[in-house]
Amino acid sequence: MTSAATTTDSASGSQYAIEILGVTKRYGKITALGGVDLDIEPGEFVVLLGPSGCGKSTLLKIIAGLEDLTDGEVYIGGKLANYLKPSARDVAMVFQNYALYPHMTVRSNIGFPLKMAGRPRAEIEEQVAFAANLLQIASELDKYPDELSGGQRQRVALGRAIVRQPLAFLMDEPLSNLDALLRVQMRSELLRLHKRVGRTTVYVTHDQIEAMTMADRVVVMRNGLIQQIGPPDEVYRRPANRFVASFVGSPPMNILEGRIETADGRRRFVGPIPADLPGLAGATIDDGPAAIGIRSEELLLSSELAIGAFPAVIELVEPVGADIFLTANIEGGAIVTIRVDAETKVAEGDGVHVVTAPGATRIFDAAGDRVRLSGDPA
Amino acid sequence: MTASAEPRHGAPGALLVIAAEHARSRRRRRLRGLGKHAFLIVITFLLVAPFYYVVLASFKNSTEIFTYPPKLLPLPPFLGNYQKLLGDTGFLRWMLNTLFVAGTVTLIKVFMDSMAGYALAKLQITGKRAIFLLMLILLMVPLGALIVPLWALVHALGLTNTYFALILPPLANPLGVFLMRQFILGLPKDLENAGRLDGLSEFGIYRRIILPLIKPGLVVLAVIIFTDQFMSFIWPLIATSSDDLQVLTVGVAALRSHGGADYGLWSAAAVMSLVPIGVFFFVLQRQFLARSLAGALKQ
Amino acid sequence: MRLSPSQHRQLRRQARIKRELTGWLFLGPMFAFFVVFLVVPVVGTVWWSTQVGGIVNGTHFVGLKNFQNLPDLVGATTAIQNTLVFALLSIPPILIGALAISLVLARIGRGAAAYRFFVYFPVLVPGVVAGLIWLFLTNVDFGLFNEVLRAVGIQPVTWLGSGSALGVLAALDVWRNVGYWAIFFVAAIIGLPQELYQAADLDGASTTKRFWYLTLPLMRRILFFAIVVSTIWGLQVFDTALVLTNGGPGTATTTIIFRVWQYVFGSNDKVGFAAAISLVLIAVILTLTLTQMRLLRSRRGDD
Repeated sequence: MTSAATTTDSASGSQYAIEILGVTKRYGKITALGGVDLDIEPGEFVVLLGPSGCGKSTLLKIIAGLEDLTDGEVYIGGKLANYLKPSARDVAMVFQNYALYPHMTVRSNIGFPLKMAGRPRAEIEEQVAFAANLLQIASELDKYPDELSGGQRQRVALGRAIVRQPLAFLMDEPLSNLDALLRVQMRSELLRLHKRVGRTTVYVTHDQIEAMTMADRVVVMRNGLIQQIGPPDEVYRRPANRFVASFVGSPPMNILEGRIETADGRRRFVGPIPADLPGLAGATIDDGPAAIGIRSEELLLSSELAIGAFPAVIELVEPVGADIFLTANIEGGAIVTIRVDAETKVAEGDGVHVVTAPGATRIFDAAGDRVRLSGDPA
Repeated sequence: MTASAEPRHGAPGALLVIAAEHARSRRRRRLRGLGKHAFLIVITFLLVAPFYYVVLASFKNSTEIFTYPPKLLPLPPFLGNYQKLLGDTGFLRWMLNTLFVAGTVTLIKVFMDSMAGYALAKLQITGKRAIFLLMLILLMVPLGALIVPLWALVHALGLTNTYFALILPPLANPLGVFLMRQFILGLPKDLENAGRLDGLSEFGIYRRIILPLIKPGLVVLAVIIFTDQFMSFIWPLIATSSDDLQVLTVGVAALRSHGGADYGLWSAAAVMSLVPIGVFFFVLQRQFLARSLAGALKQ
Repeated sequence: MRLSPSQHRQLRRQARIKRELTGWLFLGPMFAFFVVFLVVPVVGTVWWSTQVGGIVNGTHFVGLKNFQNLPDLVGATTAIQNTLVFALLSIPPILIGALAISLVLARIGRGAAAYRFFVYFPVLVPGVVAGLIWLFLTNVDFGLFNEVLRAVGIQPVTWLGSGSALGVLAALDVWRNVGYWAIFFVAAIIGLPQELYQAADLDGASTTKRFWYLTLPLMRRILFFAIVVSTIWGLQVFDTALVLTNGGPGTATTTIIFRVWQYVFGSNDKVGFAAAISLVLIAVILTLTLTQMRLLRSRRGDD
């Protein structure tokens, strides 16, 4: 399995499993996709993440051939796919509502794509049996979809995709119809399956936990545009902009508004809390409005005397098992969320002091983009 | 009443009052239930009595029909009317013609309408909306208002006095297209998409996914078309002049207008005409009643 | 992009044409019949209405003269008049009766299926057969109506006389169509939001109040639809009039389509008149249809 960040040094088309070049989709005046570029390597698990209406599902359907694109090119396995019909694209899809054929048994559902491809009966049976064993639904083969539980339907849908042995799997929010417990279970099962089958997978979700746990690379989208592409931890720790910062991670990143000012030849951030920004001097950012971002676990309770400590008043205490989320008011009316461990003794109304973990502060310019500080990794 | 301030002391009294109230409301409800049944029985009686009277007449000879007071049970039944109907008139031929024409129209239309409904629901066609609106607007125009140009058209095509004249014009009715479109719009889009990815052609999607899933709709449509066709009169009356091509309604109307009054024969014809549609109705009650609801779908 | 824009344009056009063809393959057969046997005849009616002569012997153009003559044609005026009176006599009892039946039928548990069967059965009687059946009800000597009158000691009535024939024809239509709309309304009533009724029950609303303030307003659209459609159907009355009264006595039950049929097949030179009256009928029906569509759409916009 390949992972990690890919740079855009594409030489030949065949290197990637799927290549998306400048794909645009417009419905009349509405732009669903505003020029999307994305390369997906063979075997990679890529998650398209974003709020509803961000264009992620549209992009998936365009790859599958179920939607037309207005402009741009899609290559699958190095071949231009724009004008290929869906079944000729060598991709299999798993739909949000499973889209099982209600009038066919599980066996016929799974075997259907092979039957359509004109494969001999013996081979179909063998493949169906293989997939059914892999997915632990061998005993359900003669049932109809409406006799199955949600999780079983999901497996049948996966089985129908697996038997095709496609170049890539396309999955459109496949877990969103399952209840919470089953979702977690299916999530790890999907991952195991991916490791075993090892096929390129493009996975659409609005659930950032799914994205963080499953993806080799996350593609964060908003309003038809890609906001950031990168491995989960990079998206989490170094969000490309304020949108990614607040969309990825739960609770969302603390964003505090302030200004960049130059005084005595020194540039600093003036805001509700003292900002630890050693690399600001060399950063390309002008004086004016800006914001800093700090994750809740990067704010630490401290003594009054600690360097950079600022006072806060606890407004809300929310224990969530191993952690407690504290909502705290700081001077000037700003609010931050602080994650502390469950042992911490705090109560609503307490006055506390807080410090920022070293090197944890990101800065966003007036446009909302994160500014690379001189000490940041590439 | 129930919210007594002192439950323990008030309880027995309150219970009695409640029980009495309950009994009264139950009685009232039962009375109202009886009233409902009485109303429906009267209505049913009014609607069914004519049938009974005609069935009765069909088993009487011509003098019995005119007897007053009427015999409510003609025993022994007189079968001469039916013998005459089946022996001396073309009734069986008319019936076969009707079944053949109605059956053929139904078969063709169920296929054409479901295909067109699929096209209008799911496929890309330039001007689809305009076509749909035109069909909607002309939906209510009856064949009876079109007999002049239709007759001229069928004449020009050289189809007068052929089964084609009976079968082709009813195929134009757009009602079925709407029903099918509505049914197909109700199917989840992802099902066809799954079919597309699994390698089905558009026709394959129609035949292997859409058709099996709208089967109940197809039966309702078939019932609608068949009964409409079974009952249709003015166009068959105009389209054919040959005795061999007469359908049931036309033949029965001819019994009435040609020759003298033969009430016995007429009653037998009325009863026999209702046999096939009555049997169908009995077997497919639910679909027939859905026929009445089909109108609601048009909205 | 690796293909030039013009290559893309060409490929895209090919794909679009292919898809368009597929669509027409499905729509085509039905659409062809629709055009040839419905659109063309409707337009053809306009052309025929400007003609004088007979279908077989040939015709010539006279412009709007047929329409100018229409009001003076006793036959045409009477036919239109009869049809309107028929509609006015039959539609209110059909719809009010259907509503009454449906209100009871929708709230009944036991026996509902049997009632529905019998209430609906007359709907399936072809008009011709219905006409025959009503001959047995209206016959002066042995008709069911007069038997009943005699039994309660009232003088027999000539039901199909010129004064009452149109009324009898309307009554026949009520008998035949009340079940259709009753079943239609039952479905509508069952589909009404139950929460509203539960709320009304909590508020202690009486049955009558529930009907006037809840059921009726909620069924506004359905009722409007029923009025329009039953009017359109009522304007087409023909086969029952042919069998029961043969348009008579005199012209007492000669309806529009009856007159059209007479103009076409009863004479050699009146096909233009037939088309002209047909066109009036078509115009009325189209107007009703369009009103219906417009009203339904604007109402939907309100929601």
